[in-house]
Amino acid sequence: MGGNKARRRAAGWRAAWLILALAVLGASPAAATSTRPEPQAVLRDWYRLVLELVRHTPTYSPPVASRAFAYLGVTAYEAAAGGSDALVPLAGQLNGLAPAPARETGAAYDEALVLHAALSEGAASFFGNTGPTGQRAIAAMKTRVGERIAAGIDPAVAVRSAAHGRAIAAHILAWSAADGGALVENMGFPLAYAPGAEPGTWRPTSTIAQQQAPLLPAWGTNRPFAMPEGASCPLPPPPAYSEADGSEFRRQAEEVRDAVRDLTPEQRAVARFWSDDPMLSPTPPGHWISIALAVLDEDGTDFETQAETLARLGVALADAFIGCWHEKYVHDLVRPVTYIRRSIDPAFEPILATPPFPEYPSGHSTQSGAAAVVLTALFGEARAFEDATHADDGLPARRFPSFWAAAEEAGISRLYGGIHFRAAIERGLDQGRCVGAYAVALKTRAP
Amino acid sequence: MLLALLLAAGPALGGEAAPAPAVPRFVEETSAAGIDSTYAGGWEYMVGGGAAAFDCDADGFPELFLAGGEATAHFYRNRSGRAGPLRFERDPASGLERDAVTGAYPLDVDGDGQLDLALLRVGTSLLMHGRGDCRFEPANDAFGLQAFDAWTTAFSAAWERGAALPTLAFGTYVDRREEMFPWGSCTPNRLFRPRAGEPDRYGPPLELAPSFCALSMLFTDWNRSGTPALRVSNDREYYKGGQEQLWRLAPGEAPRLYAEAEGWKVLKVWGMGIASADLDGDRFPEYFLTSMADNKLQALKGPAGPDAAPTYADVALARGVTAHRPYTGGDVRPSTAWHADFADVNNDGRLDLFVAKGNVSEMPDFAANDPNNLLLQREDGTFEEAGDRAGVASMRAARGAVVEDLNLDGRLDLLVVNRNAPAELWRNASDTPGGFVAVRPEEFGPNRDAVGAWIELRRADGSVSRRELTVGGGHAGGRLGWRHFGLGADEGAEIRVLWPDGEAGPWQAVEAGGFYRLARGAAPQPWTPPR
Repeated sequence: MGGNKARRRAAGWRAAWLILALAVLGASPAAATSTRPEPQAVLRDWYRLVLELVRHTPTYSPPVASRAFAYLGVTAYEAAAGGSDALVPLAGQLNGLAPAPARETGAAYDEALVLHAALSEGAASFFGNTGPTGQRAIAAMKTRVGERIAAGIDPAVAVRSAAHGRAIAAHILAWSAADGGALVENMGFPLAYAPGAEPGTWRPTSTIAQQQAPLLPAWGTNRPFAMPEGASCPLPPPPAYSEADGSEFRRQAEEVRDAVRDLTPEQRAVARFWSDDPMLSPTPPGHWISIALAVLDEDGTDFETQAETLARLGVALADAFIGCWHEKYVHDLVRPVTYIRRSIDPAFEPILATPPFPEYPSGHSTQSGAAAVVLTALFGEARAFEDATHADDGLPARRFPSFWAAAEEAGISRLYGGIHFRAAIERGLDQGRCVGAYAVALKTRAP
Repeated sequence: MLLALLLAAGPALGGEAAPAPAVPRFVEETSAAGIDSTYAGGWEYMVGGGAAAFDCDADGFPELFLAGGEATAHFYRNRSGRAGPLRFERDPASGLERDAVTGAYPLDVDGDGQLDLALLRVGTSLLMHGRGDCRFEPANDAFGLQAFDAWTTAFSAAWERGAALPTLAFGTYVDRREEMFPWGSCTPNRLFRPRAGEPDRYGPPLELAPSFCALSMLFTDWNRSGTPALRVSNDREYYKGGQEQLWRLAPGEAPRLYAEAEGWKVLKVWGMGIASADLDGDRFPEYFLTSMADNKLQALKGPAGPDAAPTYADVALARGVTAHRPYTGGDVRPSTAWHADFADVNNDGRLDLFVAKGNVSEMPDFAANDPNNLLLQREDGTFEEAGDRAGVASMRAARGAVVEDLNLDGRLDLLVVNRNAPAELWRNASDTPGGFVAVRPEEFGPNRDAVGAWIELRRADGSVSRRELTVGGGHAGGRLGWRHFGLGADEGAEIRVLWPDGEAGPWQAVEAGGFYRLARGAAPQPWTPPR
């Protein structure tokens, strides 16, 4: 599936960054001026770092990651919209977002500096709890890239631009503080939790002590972005719990058992490709951000389109996790590994680590569906692309004929991995369609 | 293995709760003992901070070496008397007090009867050759050890069959020059084997590729095949596509990783330290892996033996050793674990577990007040926390540690190295009734300390305790010297050595309270501390 090409692309990324770093660290002022990055390069560099920070910040489970992608996307978008005749601010469209600080009338701004200042502040805040290496990286990006962007710029413009970027970031951060997701304790696991008494309710599936309670049980009550509330995209109940032969629930469990037992190499590769484990990958929402960045890069898109895409996608991903988590704790369903070991095969071993929270619906399916809705609206139904998100981890790139093909593969990967029943996948994708539509309905372009 | 499975199922199967183990009493004597050392430094010293204990002046009392990071490392001669208060005297003339040291492991590289020391450093690591009376000099060139520049954070050594020099494994961490994108920049681990045709010098290093930012390495005979393999615990914070590793080192062959097809199960943790012990009496070691928010205790699954698959089950939760969160002090955030060691601190005949704890560096998601663990083993094989009751629940940011009998009273004392805070030394002043025996195998030939041997102690009730003699593991530091066994109320025991070449020595009687030298083919030689 294009593995060599993916590795070449990853190597190209590294080479490009090396050239950038060399220019920052050692080039003459003239050379630095000649390579002064455009705003879209600043945006891509910060997003590359943010994808690493998501992976390397322990609190960044997928819901938490999606929240950061949304706020940072909106930060970049509002920073861009303030200097663009083509973009319409999202203030007034997103729940609780007031108009961003205005620019001085008639004053000059440098868009790269505005963006860099805004994302520097945003990243430092949203990843304030990252480890010493992440802090070191944020500081280095802020300082070294900032110096490079400012080279050759009128100092007054530079000061004004940076101040405006910081003001945008402060505005977004203030907005984010009261959404219910700002404070995540104990990596999102309650210190105490009493599982439901019924056999169909979720039980811990891990030997990790922290995970004897499920992840972020109140996340579904957070304030969404474009979706009115966490309950705005409800789902019908999953098949009724039953251990009886011939019941729909047992049939779906047997399907998971059989799938894991009879996995083909391709199905195994699919399961691993979309595993997107927290702390070992950019997480499922980061995977879709990575896809979007690749498409934006391949299309050579302008800054406005990049900011628009990352804002819409971030909003959709964050709302998807809020909506999905809302339904997870409404239905509180047992995981396949618990049911299958209890009722079918005590030796059942899924090939993926079962996530530590209720089963229905599948989070990856919901957010992949929402992402596919947004990206299809922006780039078309037949936009083929190559996904090299995991090239650095040695997983070959995969090529898809459309965003929906990728979303459906992400969904079914959870069945191959032995961690979801089919109903959670299919209805998760349905929920994603509902959630994504809210992000698509946002007005971003001026008439 | 049945016992192992029963233990894995947890204490519920045991019926009534096991009686509580005796809690040892530790008395903090750092300043009084003359220890004043801090592992200091910024980002490049957020890991490391190891300590080593070894006797280099032949009085039987272990000296102490503490890594200093950006500051100078400290070496202390042991001036304690038997069963007296702990007393140490700094000796700056040893040759060991160097900067940029992250850790140290003692071993007698050239079999001259003088312990040497592997100094792990940010920069060039050094093999320090012992010249006697605690004088050391750099010997990389003398041993043909090709220097390399790295952030070195792990070490282990083992004598491959018939070799005149031990095979040395150096584990390295991140490319420290990568500032904005250090993730995925793990530098190569290196393996030094004796040079072909020139067996008293090392050949060029082999890169143990892939390398995944090792923070602990341990040569260990996991399947009792007689050929140790190299376990490597890696920090998932920095690797991409990485995992925990087990390298097979067949004599004369290139190292080869055990693969999933052979039963190796992928495990990805913030690997920081390894402690090993045969806890369940099945002859095969279990492995405790320290990490963040969660620690693993791995027990071999399936049929054991030389043909066993390297498949492990995590029994930490069942055994009560997850040690995932502070147990005292009110900070409920997850813990960060570093050095770990199994040792019988209350002399009841069961191995206990010490774990050094401390935040990496102002990571707000993790406990800032993170007390060290002292987990005491109960009769049923589960553990209970006693760090606070024993007096070692320090809230400083611990890294390395040594659990060692420093005043030769038969009770294990404790040294902990802290990051950017003074080290702490505790004397075990327990009045618990258990007896002990301490032994020191002595081998002929180059491997003087019988690294790779197993000591077995058989008690009156027929139970057998085992210790594998290794160099490596823990976090950035190790010990070499007396091997301690608690005896409970027993007045003596039988002991034997399974030598590295596979020869099983005879069972021989030893008395409680005794120190014995165990030479191959000879009766245990009682030894009395000189003061």
